[in-house]
Amino acid sequence: MVQAEENKEVLTEQSPIIELRNIDKYFGEHHVLKGISLTVKKGEVVVVIGPSGSGKSTLCRTINRLETIDSGEIIIDGVPMPGEGRKLAQLRAQIGMVFQSFNLFAHKNILDNVIMAPVEVLHMPKQQAKEEALQLLKRVGVESQAAKVPAQLSGGQQQRVAIARALAMHPKAILFDEPTSALDPEMINEVLDVMTELAAEGMTMVVVTHEMNFARRVADRIIFMDDGSILEENTPEEFFEHPKTQRAQDFLNSIKEH
Amino acid sequence: MSVQELLAEYGDKYVLALLTTWKLTALAFSAAFVIGIVVTVMRVSPVKPLRVAGDFYVQIFRNIPGAALLIVLVYALPYLNVVLSYFTCVLTATALIPAAFCSEYLMAGMNTIALGQIEAARALGMNFSQMIRLIVIPQALRSSVLPMTNLLVATMLTTALASQVPLNPTDLTGIVAHINTHAVGGVTAFLISAVLYCATAVVIGQIGNLIDRKARILR
Repeated sequence: MVQAEENKEVLTEQSPIIELRNIDKYFGEHHVLKGISLTVKKGEVVVVIGPSGSGKSTLCRTINRLETIDSGEIIIDGVPMPGEGRKLAQLRAQIGMVFQSFNLFAHKNILDNVIMAPVEVLHMPKQQAKEEALQLLKRVGVESQAAKVPAQLSGGQQQRVAIARALAMHPKAILFDEPTSALDPEMINEVLDVMTELAAEGMTMVVVTHEMNFARRVADRIIFMDDGSILEENTPEEFFEHPKTQRAQDFLNSIKEH
Repeated sequence: MSVQELLAEYGDKYVLALLTTWKLTALAFSAAFVIGIVVTVMRVSPVKPLRVAGDFYVQIFRNIPGAALLIVLVYALPYLNVVLSYFTCVLTATALIPAAFCSEYLMAGMNTIALGQIEAARALGMNFSQMIRLIVIPQALRSSVLPMTNLLVATMLTTALASQVPLNPTDLTGIVAHINTHAVGGVTAFLISAVLYCATAVVIGQIGNLIDRKARILR
């Protein structure tokens, strides 16, 4: 009876894509994530903000276990994510990730960067992977660069390729770890525009960023972190207009001054 | 004897010797290359015994003189009822040692790969062998073309060990010993071999530079 009800709950529209339960992580003595619990539903855009060193990047990297954890549970679309092995790789393949420093494969051209994982990990036929990749490159506006290598592209272009590379895996969600922090100012918007479009199309996203306008505009929910804990969790309107904690108020003031 | 006299008398033997040196070099380097890649993958694998074994291989073969290894292969192995032909002994000695250096160069090449690319590969769901095969080894190879070129030259010079065992046809160093026991070639006999070694090395160097220019990764 109870079991049946639980199953039903898992199958509803609102079942979380990402669920973190009581995550603790230490870097040596330093307690970087303090009992973090977080749920991200399908189609939701969660933006994580906070001062540097607050643990927001670590949190983002923990979701697909690029960081080890000391305790707690990570559940991806109802499936517990183990710490290693084939199952971990399978679950990672379902969650896209976009890094601050793009991390494109330097020895491969743009098209090969996008098709590598679909072909090797998902065993997609190469021709299909190519067609999809070109479609994706077109969608992020870099289809004319397909034959170049990453170093020949601008930072903004590289980051858009990185987004296409993540999308090529048909992910259930995409994690963005400060995707615009390494970009020259004039290139930030071209990346944020692509992300805004993705959000509008219903992609589930977790975004760590310092771009407050983007957070205000696109987020369904803001997570404010400081010192390894989630201090506030609210809609953007509420968070930006009426921050509850002193630390959130201080943080918002400190960025307003610039 | 003058150069002309030597070439008139032993010209065809020099050609055979040059071919033997080339053959030993090509076979030894190919083997060293394959062993070097395998040892390197062992050294970065998640399995500790493999890592230890890989490191052990490099420590042993990087630090043993080629002549000593050849003596072991020729004189010690028969006690274990393993009798290899002289050619195989020379080939083995000239492959096992460069393999250790090959692994060292690949490890250095790997250090040029940004950690972020490894993380990206993991985030895309790649397992260890996909990461090694698709990202790590290709980039390590591309950034180690010049050291590998030097290694190929060094391997060629190491094949001179062949002169220490009876081989027919012998190599470029062996031919000098052969001439000097049958006639008085003197230093001139050495000179001809030296020119042939040098010429080969120069060609190898040029090809290495060409490959490096093609393979170098833009960063």
